[in-house]
Amino acid sequence: MTLVKVAPPLDQDIDLSRTYDAVIVGSGAAGGMAAHVLTTHGLQVLMLEAGKKLPIEQELRSMQWPYDHPRRGEAPPGSHHLSFNEYTIRKPPYAKGAAFKHVYSYVGGWTGSDYVKNILVDEKDHPYTGTNYAWVRARCLGGKTNIWGRLALRLSDYDFKAKSHDGYGEDWPISYADVEPYYDKVDLYLGISGVKENLPHLPDSQFQRPSKLNFGEVKLRESLKKGGQVLTPYRAGVTTDGLKHNKYRSKCYGRGACERRGGCDIHAVFDSPTGLIYPAMDTGRLTVRPNSIAYEILVDKNTGRARGVAFLDSTTRKSYEAKAKVVVVGASTLESARLLLLSRSPQHPNGLGNSSGHVGHNFCEHVMGPGVTGLIKELVGKPHTLDDGRPGGFYIPRFRNLKDRQPGFIRGYGYEGNSGHTMFPAHVMDTPGFGGAFKRSVRDHAGAFISMGAFGEVLARYESYVDLDPDTKDKWGIPVLRFHYQFSDNERKMAEDMVATGREMLEAAGIELVGTDEKVLTEGWSIHELGTARMGNDPKTSVLNQFQQSHDVRNLFVVDGSSHVSASCQNPTWTIMALAWRSCEHLADEFRKGNL
Amino acid sequence: MTDAAQLSRREMIAATAAALVTPLLPGGAASTPVAVGVPGKFLTAAEFGMLDALTELIMPADEHSPGARAAAVAAFIDGRLAESLEPDWQAKWRSGLQTVDGLSRELNAKPFLEATSDQRVAVLTRMAAGEQDPKTAPERFFGELKGWTVRAYYTSKIGIHLDQEYKGNVYQRGEFAGYDAK
Repeated sequence: MTLVKVAPPLDQDIDLSRTYDAVIVGSGAAGGMAAHVLTTHGLQVLMLEAGKKLPIEQELRSMQWPYDHPRRGEAPPGSHHLSFNEYTIRKPPYAKGAAFKHVYSYVGGWTGSDYVKNILVDEKDHPYTGTNYAWVRARCLGGKTNIWGRLALRLSDYDFKAKSHDGYGEDWPISYADVEPYYDKVDLYLGISGVKENLPHLPDSQFQRPSKLNFGEVKLRESLKKGGQVLTPYRAGVTTDGLKHNKYRSKCYGRGACERRGGCDIHAVFDSPTGLIYPAMDTGRLTVRPNSIAYEILVDKNTGRARGVAFLDSTTRKSYEAKAKVVVVGASTLESARLLLLSRSPQHPNGLGNSSGHVGHNFCEHVMGPGVTGLIKELVGKPHTLDDGRPGGFYIPRFRNLKDRQPGFIRGYGYEGNSGHTMFPAHVMDTPGFGGAFKRSVRDHAGAFISMGAFGEVLARYESYVDLDPDTKDKWGIPVLRFHYQFSDNERKMAEDMVATGREMLEAAGIELVGTDEKVLTEGWSIHELGTARMGNDPKTSVLNQFQQSHDVRNLFVVDGSSHVSASCQNPTWTIMALAWRSCEHLADEFRKGNL
Repeated sequence: MTDAAQLSRREMIAATAAALVTPLLPGGAASTPVAVGVPGKFLTAAEFGMLDALTELIMPADEHSPGARAAAVAAFIDGRLAESLEPDWQAKWRSGLQTVDGLSRELNAKPFLEATSDQRVAVLTRMAAGEQDPKTAPERFFGELKGWTVRAYYTSKIGIHLDQEYKGNVYQRGEFAGYDAK
């Protein structure tokens, strides 16, 4: 067996005296895709990343056994991960007054915090204010794609045309037919694993080999099938067959490290650096500058158009300007909104591209937390099997408000779930007692559980927004975001249905219900924030057109999740990349014609 | 890579064979041998001995697999306590162990380490009585003690390989285990 181990391309010298064709802010799913598409079309591109370029394999150490780590995976003393209670009871900025040397978001948990401590931002350096929000940020090359959850789903016209379906909010300025070819391109370029199900509300991808379902999952799938519902193997943004065109990524070997650590050091899981950025660097047309914190998009005084990006070097704190003919923003939904709002000028007094007043608004995401756990009695006491080598367990697509109309809420949710053996028998925490009988019970019940948790659409509302805090600044003196964002009754009613329906599903399958989670997790927990610079046909009520191009500034594009008009209930990464591909193709075309 | 992982597992089993063949505990004699592992980094020798005995009572060796003592659970907890920058957490353990000793004097009229095996079980049984809704100091300490014991045990070589017989964290070839979705 040969594993792909190709070193990243060498760093190039940065020449800030030249004017690049395009400067990209951010190196995650959106920025990486922009770099791929623009360099493919011959543009000379500079990418600015606020964080470090990490030796990521050394960070992730995907196969390290817990006992080979001095703290079984935990970060050294002095580090602290925020808990649900802290997020809920206290107010941001959460690290204010903390006695710890470093404070991180909840991601990492107790088995993995040492592996993400350099990937996540230190909350002490990156405060924010306002309403409660669990804001997870990864400042490093590739951003959150280094540790993402891998579920790679398409949206359908139930999402793009949601207003036409139920009257709420706005339709997107595009339909599924516009995006479908780009979903296909993303599938084939990056690799995705799954099973075709022919669902109108969850279109199929160009799948590579799927992972298999295990006993409990098949049992639930068969039961759901009787009611016309679907349980499908996790659609993972993972190459299971390998990619001949990418020398930086291996195929998946079912090591299971993604479930334990959330990162893949052989890059079978898509991440932006090996999937998009390194190949783009190999064209000779992409230069990457890490440690570069963009704080303003610069505007030409005469034309009002973007002329480049002002940034600080995060280590020297020196200020620089990167000049470009086109500015592409992909800094993440909230950081992109922040950058636009920071870019005030006489021509753009409310922030760049914000004549509509909609930048920062219509902020939406997914609500999560509610779920159920069941015991599959047939598996108690059976020999232990290898179940957690898969990139994921299963997904139950949305079923609410497609044909029916729920009385309590609009839109829908899907369940992500898992069953089988894991390295750490998590049920030990819920097994009472001690001693020989306790130890035997933990052993006998290991692998006999099935759990699932729902992700639901949070409605986009103008009243849900972020703006700049007038007083608070980050470590580099840049004004921070202030949140005005809370779940509403629609999300709470939906959350009740998530628990009740999950219970019915397990019981109908003859699986004993042993636990329910009714708690809705803090806003932000899903790490699926969207919508702060939405697309639309009307410049008065939207920030971007259908090609993620600013209505106000035609050489400014915002290609990340901020452009989404509604959250849908499907995980957004694959849609972010399909849209960025489509928009950057349009950008390159317009650039060639001299229209930008 | 698969081979390497399995090799290391075989080596590990060989290394712990002694623990497997030595008959241990249930209902055994009072003077259980104290402390495998490094004693007293943060805890005193007496405190460490108590912790070692308590973890083994929670997670005992049985016919299937070695227990917390062989897995050096107490040494792991002691090491974490020693390097901790949180005095409140360190104090919680010191006072928690004192509480256990106090409970043993109350129930058995002798310190925990001088108590018989049955008497020690009686102490832990009392501590575990309020597991769902702990009220007294010993009951509250039980949650902390058990939580750290099982974490350390199931992340140890013995816990992962011998007790759970975990089969993953290997490079798999071909189709992975499971059932076809069709």
